[in-house]
Amino acid sequence: MNDRTVSEHELLIVRTFDAPRELVFRAFAEARHLARWWGPKGFVMGVHTLEFRPGGVFHYSMRSPGGQEMGGKFVYHEILEPEKIVYVSSFSDAEGGLTRHPMWPEWPLQVWNVVTFEEQQGKTLLTLRGYPLNAPEREVEFFQQVHSGVRMGFRGTLDQLEEYLATRGGAA
Amino acid sequence: MARSATTSDVFNAVGEPPRRQILELLAQGERSVNDIAGALELHQPQASKHLRVLREVGLVSVREVGKQRLYRLNAGGLKPIHDWVKPFERFWSESFDRLDEYLKELQAQKKEKPDE
Repeated sequence: MNDRTVSEHELLIVRTFDAPRELVFRAFAEARHLARWWGPKGFVMGVHTLEFRPGGVFHYSMRSPGGQEMGGKFVYHEILEPEKIVYVSSFSDAEGGLTRHPMWPEWPLQVWNVVTFEEQQGKTLLTLRGYPLNAPEREVEFFQQVHSGVRMGFRGTLDQLEEYLATRGGAA
Repeated sequence: MARSATTSDVFNAVGEPPRRQILELLAQGERSVNDIAGALELHQPQASKHLRVLREVGLVSVREVGKQRLYRLNAGGLKPIHDWVKPFERFWSESFDRLDEYLKELQAQKKEKPDE
């Protein structure tokens, strides 16, 4: 990825899916689809509310393999089927109130996300951009630092660390 | 430098783009301060200042070879960043891996039942 075009406080994830754009878009739009893929491997998803329309809310919970319960919430701002979804994401409690992540207290309370879907010879190029919303400077900095780390990871610096940790049998 | 905390914390140390560029350069092998300054188009005192910050947080180490001081990446120093970033990176990479599989499954179903 060319990170000269990425602003320092921005999250950018790009991925191509071997499926038609309409289908990839539907996978973001319907609860029965979202429940099947949203969240890391081994996590159990529960979709509490999904109002897929501007102003609507997606409220979900997630249980980690270790039994930790986490909630999250999206508020949709713009939906342009099948091209674009704009939403504000947050961590949330069971009632849908905004919360802090227990491990990341400095994570911005709200993140503005723009997901676009582009057709490329029958495949779909998905681009996700995220920006802290109304966040104090220290949270913007934290967000930026995490993503600097992610970008460094893409360039292979963290891969080198993983090799290093592997050779030491994880005893770092 | 905006904050004094910069020197004491690995996260703050990598917050500045020139320092990440130095780490990326050193990931390819040892370099002298002049090599680093040259590659990144920095003045030598600036490069030295960044290297000092990176040394203070344990991300680079230095050894003397004759008259030269050679800097190298201390990959173990990145572990705190790795531990923070990994769950986040995992969230997206694993979600999208699952989406990838799920899309294949949906398309296979569609072929079996074309009228759906």
